[in-house]
Amino acid sequence: MVPRSKNNKWKTRKMKKIALLIVASSVLSGCTVLDAYLMTGYDSSEYAAITSIRTKASIAKDECDDFEKSKSNAIILADEVQYFEFYEQKIPRNENGYNAAKSLNKIAQGLKDRYQQENSVSKIYCETKFKSIEVSSELIQKTLGDRPR
Amino acid sequence: MNLDEIKQQAAEIAASSDPNFSAAAAVVLQVAEQLEAGALAGSEAQEVLQDINSQMEIIQEMSGLQLKQKLNVAINALITIAAAAA
Repeated sequence: MVPRSKNNKWKTRKMKKIALLIVASSVLSGCTVLDAYLMTGYDSSEYAAITSIRTKASIAKDECDDFEKSKSNAIILADEVQYFEFYEQKIPRNENGYNAAKSLNKIAQGLKDRYQQENSVSKIYCETKFKSIEVSSELIQKTLGDRPR
Repeated sequence: MNLDEIKQQAAEIAASSDPNFSAAAAVVLQVAEQLEAGALAGSEAQEVLQDINSQMEIIQEMSGLQLKQKLNVAINALITIAAAAA
């Protein structure tokens, strides 16, 4: 049987090694470990925002026969995606989330701009744009749902 | 590269096992076909194809976030083990 004092020394050495390993990993990978450790956890408002975007895009892609309805859908959806981008922007240590939101917003604003500038839009363009917002927001939703709780 | 060659290449990638590249190539193939049929305006096709780049960026960013999340779980688990050993 190991004496209690020796056992404690061994545990202290083990702790120091673990701490050293974490510090070394942080330095070697350019603070990636620190970023991961301090990252934002699950946020129900963030999750609700992206779920709403996905839902609206999913419904809108089936309404592309109606120009006025699709125009209204495009404007409402683009405004929601803009809100999501602003939301992501101010979350600390959230570069990945913010970059993804900016890319999603680029797709949504393009759709809104075309509907506001043109008198007609092809059905296939409408379906493809709403579908790409739906697919992208589904991927973001899945990832945000996996944020640490 | 002409339209037929683009369609052939996109069809090959669409049949690949990578779901992300496969989905992007399927859109390229669809756009090429619709452009050929005159169902899609040139500027519309241009925008839809540019969206594929945005989608690829989203895939890349979410992949990075997923790795960070896994690392976060591992670090916290390690801290719990270390605390128990202290």
